[in-house]
Amino acid sequence: MSDMDAPRPAGAPAPWGTAPPDVDLGRVWTGVAAQVWRRRPGPLERAAGRLLRSPGLARALVATPSLLLAWIIATVVVLFAGAAATLATGTPYVALLAPAVAGTGIAYAYGPGIDPAWELSQSMAVSGRMVLLARALAVFALNAALGLAASALSGAAAALTFGWLIPMTAVCALALAVATVTRSAAVGVAAGMAGWVITVLSSAAASGDLTTAVTDPALILPYLAFAACCGAVVLYATRIPRGTS
Amino acid sequence: MNVDITDLTRRFRRTQAVAGVSLQAGPGVFGLLGPNGAGKTSLLRMMATVLPPTSGRLRLLGRDPGSYGPRREIRRRLGYLPQNLGYYPGFTVAEFVEYFALLKDMPPGQVPRAVAAAIEHVGLGDQARAKLRTLSGGMLRRAGIAQAIVNEPELLLLDEPTAGLDPEQRVAFRALLRGFGERATVIVSTHLVEDVGAACTEVSLMDTGKIVFHGTPDELTARGEGTGAAGDAPLERGYSAVLAAARSTTAAA
Amino acid sequence: MDDDSLVTRVAGGDDAALRELFSRHAPWLAARLRAVLPAAEVEDVLQETFLAVWRGAGSYRPSGAAGAWLWGIARRQAALLLRRRGPAAAGLPAGVTAAGQAGDPAEVALSRVELAAAVAALGPPGGPEREVWRLLYEEDRPVAEVAALLKVPQGTVKSRAHRARRRLRAALRGGTAAEGGSR
Repeated sequence: MSDMDAPRPAGAPAPWGTAPPDVDLGRVWTGVAAQVWRRRPGPLERAAGRLLRSPGLARALVATPSLLLAWIIATVVVLFAGAAATLATGTPYVALLAPAVAGTGIAYAYGPGIDPAWELSQSMAVSGRMVLLARALAVFALNAALGLAASALSGAAAALTFGWLIPMTAVCALALAVATVTRSAAVGVAAGMAGWVITVLSSAAASGDLTTAVTDPALILPYLAFAACCGAVVLYATRIPRGTS
Repeated sequence: MNVDITDLTRRFRRTQAVAGVSLQAGPGVFGLLGPNGAGKTSLLRMMATVLPPTSGRLRLLGRDPGSYGPRREIRRRLGYLPQNLGYYPGFTVAEFVEYFALLKDMPPGQVPRAVAAAIEHVGLGDQARAKLRTLSGGMLRRAGIAQAIVNEPELLLLDEPTAGLDPEQRVAFRALLRGFGERATVIVSTHLVEDVGAACTEVSLMDTGKIVFHGTPDELTARGEGTGAAGDAPLERGYSAVLAAARSTTAAA
Repeated sequence: MDDDSLVTRVAGGDDAALRELFSRHAPWLAARLRAVLPAAEVEDVLQETFLAVWRGAGSYRPSGAAGAWLWGIARRQAALLLRRRGPAAAGLPAGVTAAGQAGDPAEVALSRVELAAAVAALGPPGGPEREVWRLLYEEDRPVAEVAALLKVPQGTVKSRAHRARRRLRAALRGGTAAEGGSR
């Protein structure tokens, strides 16, 4: 790639020509550039900044890949297609899809390996780890809300409407833990999906009912325990940075 | 004293990356020299509060980075440029610098001006709204320097900052270092010996996790005189002479 | 690239073009403003001027007189500031103007600066038109005396004065072409 540097002598801050000696043109330009180059945060970001009492954390949240509009739209489409399918066939697709969709979003909450500037972000006052956890929570909350809406729309029974929240927590924790440890969002997604599919199919094979994975109360504690372990893995993996030199 | 280190060590499983380093630094520009694997980057990462030490005493800007509150305070006043920066391709230079300014807890009202000043300081004024993926290696490095200086840090840590910079830009960069060195502690880790000599007030040479020389660039040059050590320039010869002496001492011990 | 193209690019959102415009024009604008305002205020006015350029570049019709347009914006900003701060800011005694009329001190100060720049367009100090202008109009001497001082016939004095007035009119109308002195 050719280096198309601006042709300013010696790479020094631009020499601003002969002006009256007591007028600081560099300072003037900085003032102009500050207004021309500034980014104006949207209302959501400003509200988040006030709520979290950290404009930096709000900015990082808004920049989360899986919270970007395109991603949210994709999530909505999948979940509401599931709702439509449920209305048509009676199989509670939303309950089965929601954990997988959420797990995918969580893996792209951008932690080590996925975040190219991870090392730098670890030296920040608002650390990379704090950002990752905030993002994971935000993605989870958003997916839960969308999932509940889709579930309610599909006319599913109350047990099914809420029943998938706990499995979703477990799947998300698994996806995040694997993504963080392997430093790859794709591997995290694969692990989350695989884990969920295996759980659904094996519980269905055992009981003959496809929805057992989300309705069996005996599974609640195992899900939560598993989620807690994965959470601990994430905390540990983000505490000690890799690298040996 | 902005940096006060006593007997600092860092171990990774079986390797001792940093094997007992002591260093005190107030305002000024300090060079950290040494071959690859000498432990410079690990030392710098510990000072950047990114890596916790295995043992020893570390005080930065008068605080102990071991606890959350003081560590956050240190990080607000810190500027760090890692060896491998990484960047968000879709961000513009201004967005990139602003992102990290906000993550350093800078008050939002001060951010636009600080970002503009930092970008102009590194000579990227014409590229402020260009996407990072369109920039050359040298420009990216300068964008990295810009995010490091945006909060006017009291402790500025730069790991191989001149990679990709052409000679003209290196001159400007050394001027930047000297400017910051008047008020802050600037620590530059580099394997480009002559780069360092021109801007630093003091130099430390590391080898296998220990500091084998600490003094002024002139003193390092003096160590190389008359020894027939390898090197095309005075500082390089001093560097080679000190390393050779340190290694023969270790071999003899 | 000429100034007109730069302004067009600024209108299209090119901030590097704004930076180039700044580097070309801020120095002479600063010099002209400095004659009317203290340094700190010159900085404020210049900043407001170029922000106004950034926002309003779309309204500029390319005519080769970008400098005049820029001065027009700077002038307005300076006048606003002077009116806010009062005549003391311009270093003028209150209400001073020609023929004892109570005029707007801001306008007076700015007109003075424009006139000085237009006079500079007459040529270098000591040049024929400049000297005639100075002796005839600034020092108010009769034509005969000026002719004697310059050792030229009265007809020459009159024709030089005529040329000077014509040039001055053109310079003032066009907002002055001589940016920063005798160019």
